[in-house]
Amino acid sequence: MNLQTFLQRFWAIAGAVSIRTKILGIVLGFILLLGAGVTLQARYALTATMTAQLEEQSVSVSRDLAARAADPILLNDLLSLHDLLDETLANNPNVRYAFLMDENGQVIAHTFGGGFPLDLLPLNAAAPDEHHHTALIQTDEGLVWDTAVPILDGKIGTARIGLSDASMQMALSTLTAQLLLTIVFVSATGVLVAVFLTWILTRPILALVNATQAVAKGDFTRRVPRWADDEIGDLADAFNAMTAELAHTEELRRERESLRRQLMEKVIATQEDERRRIARELHDSTSQNLTSLIVGLRMMEAQCAHCPSPTKAADLRQVASHTLEEVHDLSMRLRPRVLDDLGLAAALERLAHEWQSRYKIPVDVVIQLDERLPGEIETALYRIVQEALTNIARHAQAKSASLLIEKRGGSVRAIVEDDGVGFDPSAQRGERHLGLLGMRERAELLGGALTIESSPNRGTSIFIEIPLLPQPSNLPTF
Amino acid sequence: MKKILLLLILLASCSPLPQTPIAGTVDLDNLQPLPTPPDQQAVPLRVAIAAVISPKGTLESYSPFLSYLEAKLNRPIELVQRRTYLEVNDLIEHGEVDLAFVCTSAYVEGHNTFGMELLAAPQVDGKTTYNSYLIVPARSEAQSISDLRGKVFAFTDPISLSGRVYPTYLVHQLGFDPEAFFARTFFTYSHDEAIRAVAGGVADGAAVDSLVYEFALARDPSLAEKVRVIHVSPDFGIPPVVVSPFTRPQVKEELQSLLLDMANDPAARQALASMGVERFVLIDDSAYDGVRALMGVVPVSVSP
Repeated sequence: MNLQTFLQRFWAIAGAVSIRTKILGIVLGFILLLGAGVTLQARYALTATMTAQLEEQSVSVSRDLAARAADPILLNDLLSLHDLLDETLANNPNVRYAFLMDENGQVIAHTFGGGFPLDLLPLNAAAPDEHHHTALIQTDEGLVWDTAVPILDGKIGTARIGLSDASMQMALSTLTAQLLLTIVFVSATGVLVAVFLTWILTRPILALVNATQAVAKGDFTRRVPRWADDEIGDLADAFNAMTAELAHTEELRRERESLRRQLMEKVIATQEDERRRIARELHDSTSQNLTSLIVGLRMMEAQCAHCPSPTKAADLRQVASHTLEEVHDLSMRLRPRVLDDLGLAAALERLAHEWQSRYKIPVDVVIQLDERLPGEIETALYRIVQEALTNIARHAQAKSASLLIEKRGGSVRAIVEDDGVGFDPSAQRGERHLGLLGMRERAELLGGALTIESSPNRGTSIFIEIPLLPQPSNLPTF
Repeated sequence: MKKILLLLILLASCSPLPQTPIAGTVDLDNLQPLPTPPDQQAVPLRVAIAAVISPKGTLESYSPFLSYLEAKLNRPIELVQRRTYLEVNDLIEHGEVDLAFVCTSAYVEGHNTFGMELLAAPQVDGKTTYNSYLIVPARSEAQSISDLRGKVFAFTDPISLSGRVYPTYLVHQLGFDPEAFFARTFFTYSHDEAIRAVAGGVADGAAVDSLVYEFALARDPSLAEKVRVIHVSPDFGIPPVVVSPFTRPQVKEELQSLLLDMANDPAARQALASMGVERFVLIDDSAYDGVRALMGVVPVSVSP
């Protein structure tokens, strides 16, 4: 496994855990590593020191024994020798055994009691001119430093003692246990510290996360407190600056949107006003003039029955009558008077009727309105339905269509359906798309919504819902 | 790489210490009876030396002599030392030693009790007599035994002539028992130890063998600055070389002639010098009559 795979695997584990776990891991890992290092180093140092001490003690005790054993050996005072050995053993807890040999290597006295481990004898010896000779011996009870010291230059024998390292091992175990205990305590403290650190670290991060979510939902008022003077503090500052910038941008956007709406409303209002004026003009002035013209032509026709061109006058009257009808029709389409005078229901029924007779497509009209709607809603709905019917006539190749207007709760709902070829609403471009956009715009200007459901060969349904509640809109009534 | 390096350092610190190689393995609970020492080919000649000087001093002084004896007799020599003169006397009485260097009073006592036999006597400075020196620390103001009243006194051996009998005699002359005269007494069991006790200020006075004193002074001249002799006893018969009543006559004669010839043997020169002896000479039991008279006056108890 190469280093990169190892690192990837490590990151797969380390990267998947939370910051809390990471910090805990860092703290605990560091404490454990340090603890292990210190324990090993302390054990090493203690072992070195105690080994040297043991060796030194081994030498000094055996030198002492050799010096004190000389007289009793010379005097053949075995009791004193035994007492001396017992004393040596009692006064030096580390001494595992002590024994004395005569110059021929015969054991004179020893501390083993019943017998003697004969294997011990050849393992260490001191030459007569040696100060001492120490050998390390492996026993069933652990390591033993065996020191041999010649008595009176070896003339009368050798003293040997064995120092067990049991006390050293005990000290090592005690030290290790204490250090491990310390590590456990420090680790526990470390965990607490890490939890606290995590809290300190993650608190601003969580605050940032919450604020980010709020901003994502459009709440630009949220600000993150700067907890600390560190990188996260900088991040908080940057975030706050960004949010402020976003809020500013959003405000600008809203202003523009508002302006655009006002402009749009103005345009629509102006358009409606203009249409209404032209329609009235057409109806009042142009129609009157045409009627006068027709009456004049009829009189002229009657007065000069013998004129060479009575048929001419009849023809002209015919043209004038036709023009009058067209003017009526135009006026009607520009702004049906019935919409202003009788309301949406009558206007739509008439629109549907005319549309049906013009395009020969049957329309099922259901209008359930018990009272007049606000003027702007009537106008908007009338125009939307007008556009929808125009679209059906132009594109749908429908066999039938239906129109439903109903007041439901606090809103008015309109559904225009056909059984035509349908289309993909999301893929609309061009003039038709602009028409659809206009319909939606009108609905939205009044706080309403327009939904188109259609797919190729499945017909088209247009749902319009406009609330009747007073709108926070500065739309003028038209 | 750094991690690996760190790990290596850690591992290195855990590795066993550079220490003495293990000499061997032994089971300390596997106890077996000690083998009996192999029988010696020749029966050793056992030589006892009374602890006139300390056991270590004895060994040092008599080693050359014993080696000489060993070579001459072509027989192993075994040195036997005991703490007290009486213990040595016991050994001689029961024939457990063949040859012995004893103290004058021990000879008188042994001759009297079980017939200890004289073999020869060392001659020092042309004399076969010696004295008891009463010594005090050099800075002491004492001029005689009477000045030591109420002081601490060191005896050598309970039956030593120079170290116990003579000073006791001196105290008796003043009309006291030593126990009452001195504040405290103790036994050093050898003369060099008694000198050391006085030199070290442990004892305010002691009586010692003149031969040992001179010998010690010769070896360590600085002793003269620490110790002062305030009284010299009359001449006593020198501590002799004796044999056990059980020693075979042939051995006795062989040993005697060997000792007497030593002065003529260049090989023996070092042995004699080490002991501080010029030569060995024959001596008659009558040489110890003076001592007998003194010991008759001062009954010596074996215990302090």
